Amino acid sequence: MSDDEAYGYDGAMVEEEPETYYSDDANPEQEVAAEAEVITDGNGKLTEQKERITTPYMTKYERAKILGTRALQLSMNAPPMVEIEGETDAFQIALKELREKKIPFLIRRNLPDGAFEVWSVRELIIE
Amino acid sequence: MFFLKQLKHTITLHPRFFGPDMEEFVKTKLYQDVEGTCTGRYGYIITVVQVVSISKGKLIPGLGSAEFVVVYQAIVFKPFKNEVLDGVVKNVNKMGFFVDVGPLSVFVSSHTIPSDMRFDPNGNPPCYQSEDQTIEKGGAIRLKIIGLKTEPTDIRAIGTIKEDYLGIIA
Repeated sequence: MSDDEAYGYDGAMVEEEPETYYSDDANPEQEVAAEAEVITDGNGKLTEQKERITTPYMTKYERAKILGTRALQLSMNAPPMVEIEGETDAFQIALKELREKKIPFLIRRNLPDGAFEVWSVRELIIE
Repeated sequence: MFFLKQLKHTITLHPRFFGPDMEEFVKTKLYQDVEGTCTGRYGYIITVVQVVSISKGKLIPGLGSAEFVVVYQAIVFKPFKNEVLDGVVKNVNKMGFFVDVGPLSVFVSSHTIPSDMRFDPNGNPPCYQSEDQTIEKGGAIRLKIIGLKTEPTDIRAIGTIKEDYLGIIA
């Protein structure tokens, strides 16, 4: 991956997660283990943290970015991940998806030393 | 010459293609984007043989689209100077003639045609003629590349048939 990514307010970057797109029964513990492997992007600059040290809570900035991005996608005809019960507003559907933890994103939290951690939306604690 | 080459391509996918068939869309788009194109560096990409890997999608901020880096193996055709190739004559005029070697068009100037061959503008179709040979549109030609000009999205070549064993092939 390249380093010229645009960052969110808090350095968080949203990633699509195609593998788990429709697999709701994936074992979350296994997934965490898989994500904790160290990977480099070829030029050895970005390294995934072996042990994740950032907060398990979703920050308000991440929440805003996730909802915004997801609502935008839904408004552009992305297939919704939840049952639609008459909602027509993309943002309302995005909220519902987040409530049900069905948003298929991974969040990359970039750290000051160039390393990053990957958290899936499903495992983050939403208050 | 043909090569099997591992190449990389970035594909941007619109949100309407998201869902369980996303991988298929990425592959289809790769074939559409890449096959038949030409890069000065690798030559003509003839066909994708195998998709090696598709990265996880990366969302582009503010657009909603996702970017996938696809690593694939492709057969590429890259011509070299002094390479001998077979082709089909496409166009004949008094300056020389053009030969299609697959996707590559090679110009053979009248200076690099054996001196006993004369241009006959009155022939139908116009042709180059010697006592026993005729070069006309549709004929099979073996030529040698004497010059190549590579541009970012194009390759141009000039060839010669003024050497032993070059020219019309039966």
